[in-house]
Amino acid sequence: MTNGRHIVSAFDDDLITVQAKISEMGGLVEELLGEALEALKNRDAELAQAVITKDKRMDAMELGLEELSIQIIALRQPMAEDLRVLISAIKIASTLERIGDLAKNIARRAIYLSEAKPIKISQSIIHMGQVTLRQLSEILDAHAKRDADLAVDIWNRDVEIDEMYNAIFRELVTYMMEDSRMIGLGSQLLFVAKNLERIGDHTTHISEMIYYVVKGEPLGDERPKGEPIGLGVAPF
Amino acid sequence: MTNEVKISTKNVDVFYGDNHAIKDVSVDILKNTVTAFIGPSGCGKSTFLRCLNRMNDTIDSCKITGELLMDGEDIYAKSVDPVQLRAKVGMVFQKPNPFPKSIFDNVAYGPRIHGLVGNKTDLEEVVETSLRRAAIWNEVKDRLDAPGTSLSGGQQQRLCIARAIATAPEVLLMDEPASSLDPIATAQIEELIDELRNNYSVVIVTHSMQQAARVSQKTAFFHMGDMVEYGDTTAIFTNPVDQRTQDYITGRFG
Repeated sequence: MTNGRHIVSAFDDDLITVQAKISEMGGLVEELLGEALEALKNRDAELAQAVITKDKRMDAMELGLEELSIQIIALRQPMAEDLRVLISAIKIASTLERIGDLAKNIARRAIYLSEAKPIKISQSIIHMGQVTLRQLSEILDAHAKRDADLAVDIWNRDVEIDEMYNAIFRELVTYMMEDSRMIGLGSQLLFVAKNLERIGDHTTHISEMIYYVVKGEPLGDERPKGEPIGLGVAPF
Repeated sequence: MTNEVKISTKNVDVFYGDNHAIKDVSVDILKNTVTAFIGPSGCGKSTFLRCLNRMNDTIDSCKITGELLMDGEDIYAKSVDPVQLRAKVGMVFQKPNPFPKSIFDNVAYGPRIHGLVGNKTDLEEVVETSLRRAAIWNEVKDRLDAPGTSLSGGQQQRLCIARAIATAPEVLLMDEPASSLDPIATAQIEELIDELRNNYSVVIVTHSMQQAARVSQKTAFFHMGDMVEYGDTTAIFTNPVDQRTQDYITGRFG
């Protein structure tokens, strides 16, 4: 749906500011996740530490966007699509902030892992990380373009990340069963993979918000999901 | 809110001379429901409202075609006395217009001319009940002999509402009833509208979208004589179907 400009042009400026702030948060969270993965891959504790520090900015940005949205709702009484944009903005900001937290958590584990000996499975996790990062970038594009079709496509596609997680889970459990000295390292990697899987879920939540803004109705809850992990693994 | 139809209109067209003011409008006014008519100035919403109790009869150049039924009876049938009709379909206007009479006589006027009450005690009771329901009794009970015009704007408007409900109408039409009132008086009128819904069908024309959203269960959007969209108020204000509705309620150029 393409919209003309508001008669009160300051209202347009407000809504543009909201969109810009989301894009800014999106840009930062992409950077956080990208650098966390980079730190993981290159065993770079210093970069990982920088990610942890930088995440604080996400919290401040979320708060700022929330305040702005509440102000606009109070002062301009938005209706219809404008109202949907603002309600979604608050939810998307909170989702991006959580993704930032998960990226930070990956960075924390990257610091630990930078001391440990590299294992083959790390490559699968890096690959999963790249797919997740791409999905995050795409959802931010879909948001900027108000592209509901792309949003739905991503929503349907997240199951691939779930499946990668399941495969990594099985592989790590096997490693840990074979060699109990691997348990510390394996658990860290398991958490990294779990964080990535959660980030994927969060991008689907953003899909739902984009769909709601554009179509005015919820996307539904029939999203394809991977089988719950743990249940498909041999007893141990 | 019920789904029972109080007034049904089908394919209504209204002309003022050559001016085609209402174009093929069909909408149902439901019982115990507040229906809001919204739309830009000159869109026809007031014209349509005035068709519902034949307020346009006095305008010679006005021609109305189509079907307007209240409880299945033709509002425009020759046998219908417009004065009797207006006792059943009351109206409150934008500007409070109390008669230059006492507060008591303002409210007593309708029941008196329609011969609705037998004696003075009954009349006093009708006046008190109407003033109470219009949420103004406590403010005027000690000065019922004072002129209606001595009240403040918000009080005058509530007095006019009391006057409108004194004849026990079945439908209440309100044309911008709160546009000249302060926010407190507006809130009192809105509270009153919500309460009136228990007994009447209320139709309100308003330029305030927030007011339409607050008081109504159904909303109809008019634009250049067309009724563009009619539906549940919650749907109209969160997810309107027509682009023109969307543009209007979000304050964009249509």
